[in-house]
Amino acid sequence: MLGFNLKRSSRDFMGHLILIAIPIALIAFFNFVYTNSDIISGIQGERLNLLATLTVGFALTFQIYGAGLSFETIGIDFFSPIHERLACSPANLRSMIITTLVSSSVVSFAQTLAIMLFSVIVLGTGIVHMIWVLVIMLLSIIFHQLFGSAILLASRSVKTANIVTTIYGSVAPMLVGLYFPLPDTKLFAIIRQFSTPMSLANTAIRGIIIEDTGMLLSALTPLLVLIILLFLILKPLVGRVTR
Amino acid sequence: MVIRMDDVMKRYSRTVALDCFHLHVEKGEVIGLLGPNGAGKTTCLKAIIGLIGIDEGTVSVFGLPQDGKNKEIKRQIGYVTQELTIYEEMSARDNLAFFASLYGLTKTDIDAKIPEVAKLIGLEGRLKDRPKQFSGGMKRRLNIGCSLMHDPKLLILDEPTVGIDPQSRNFILEFVKRLAAEGTTILYTSHYIDEVEAVASRICIMDQGHVIANGTIPELIARIEGDSHILIDVRISNEESLGELKGIPEIKEATLEGNRYHIVVPGGLVVFDKILPILARQTIVNVNSKQPDLEDVFLTLTGKQLRDGA
Repeated sequence: MLGFNLKRSSRDFMGHLILIAIPIALIAFFNFVYTNSDIISGIQGERLNLLATLTVGFALTFQIYGAGLSFETIGIDFFSPIHERLACSPANLRSMIITTLVSSSVVSFAQTLAIMLFSVIVLGTGIVHMIWVLVIMLLSIIFHQLFGSAILLASRSVKTANIVTTIYGSVAPMLVGLYFPLPDTKLFAIIRQFSTPMSLANTAIRGIIIEDTGMLLSALTPLLVLIILLFLILKPLVGRVTR
Repeated sequence: MVIRMDDVMKRYSRTVALDCFHLHVEKGEVIGLLGPNGAGKTTCLKAIIGLIGIDEGTVSVFGLPQDGKNKEIKRQIGYVTQELTIYEEMSARDNLAFFASLYGLTKTDIDAKIPEVAKLIGLEGRLKDRPKQFSGGMKRRLNIGCSLMHDPKLLILDEPTVGIDPQSRNFILEFVKRLAAEGTTILYTSHYIDEVEAVASRICIMDQGHVIANGTIPELIARIEGDSHILIDVRISNEESLGELKGIPEIKEATLEGNRYHIVVPGGLVVFDKILPILARQTIVNVNSKQPDLEDVFLTLTGKQLRDGA
C-alpha cells in the first residue's frame, strides 16, 4: 500500500514542478534582488548568509503547499465514490490514512531535499549541520501534512483544506519576513520567530545553523507540542471516516 | 443461503428506503434487481455489503450476520460501484494490483491473477496504460475487473453499464454470464430491462422500499398473462384521444409514447371496433399486437416506465 501511494504521489509531475521549481526560482530571484539592492531580508541574521536564509525560508514555505499531497489523496480515497470500494474491502482504513500520511511526508521531504541540494550544489549555498537542518525540515513537513489532513477531515472538503493551507502558505512566510523586511522591534522579532509553525521551524533551523541551543529549543519544543496535539486531534477525526 | 434479508427497515430521516424488505438469494443465483429511482435498490445493496446499518430486521451474508465489520464477509464480496472507482492516474495493472492487495492477496497471487482478470475484461494488451487514456467502456471493464481480483463468491454490480457503448455493454453482459456459469452468485441492478433479462436467473422488482414481485421471467410474465397489448402508431397523436381510449370500459390501461398508443386489454376481448374510430382521425400508420415481456410486468406492477423513473 505504501508503494502504491508513493507511486501515486510521484505521478503528479505538475505538482512536483510547482513545489520544486518555483521555490528554486524564487530563491534565485530574491538572491538577485537582495544582493543588487540595499533591501535587507527580514529574516537575515548576521551569521546567516542570504542564500541559506532564502533556501530555508522557501523550502519551509513550499512544504505548506506540499500538505496537499496528503489531504488531496485522503480526499480522493475518503470523500469520493472510491471510499465505498475501500470501505467494503477488509482492509484497515485507519492504516490506509497513516500510510498516506507517511508516503506524502516522504514525497514532500524528497521535494525539500531537491530544493536544498539544488541550492547547495548549484547556487553554492553554505548550510552547516545539514543533517540536523533536514531533521527540523522533516518535523515541519510532518506538522503540515497532519495540519492539512486535520482541516480536510474536520471540514470534509478538499476545497476548504486547499483554501486554508493556501492562505496560511501566503501569510506565514510574510510573518517570517521572507518577502519583505519587518520592523525591527521586539514585537516583530517575536512574530518572526514564534508566530506560526513555519516561524518555529525557521527559528529552530537558525538555532542549528548559528549553534544557539537556546534558540533551537525555544522553537523546537512548541513545534513538537503542536505535532503531538495534531496527532491527538486527528485520532477522532480519522475515526469518523474509517468507522 | 448467500443473502438473507428479513423484515429490513431502513430510514433516512423521514424517508423510508427499505420497508419490511425481504430478499433470499441462494448460491449460484443471478438476481436482477429492478426498480425506479428511489425504489431502494442502492440501499439494499449497501445493506448487504455492510456500508450502511439497518434500523430493524436482519441481514446475513454467507450465514453470518452483516454488521459492516465482518472481514470474513468482506473477503467474499466483490462490489462494482455505479460510479467509476478506479485511480485514473495509475495504470490498469496498478489498479488491479492495489484493489487485490486490499483483500490480502500476496504479490505472487496478484501477479498470477492479473493476466487472468485482464483477459476476462478484455484489457490484456492495455495493462500498462492509464485509465485516463481509456474509452468509457474500457474504464467500466477495469472498474469491474478490480472487483474480481480476489475471486469473490458474491458479485454485486450496481448499474455496471451506465454510459457506455453497446459493444462494451455486450462484452460486460457476456462475461457476467460467464461468471454466473462458473457458479458466482450475482446481484445485478440496472435501468435496462433487457440487460437484466439477459443475465438474471431470477428478478426482484422493487418499488418504494418493498419487493413487489420476485421470480423467474416466465413466472413474472405469468402474473400479467391474459392481457393483450395493442400497439398503434399514428401520424400525429394527441392526449385527447388517449383520454377517450381510457374511457372505454374494456380497456385496462392506455399510454402514449411519442406517436404510439399502447393499449392493454384483458385477453379475449375484441375492442378494435371501438379503438379504431377514435384513432382513425389521426391517420393510423401501423397496428401491432405485442406479447407481454418484463417491461410490461414492470409497468403493470409499478405503474412506471423503468427509464422514465431513472
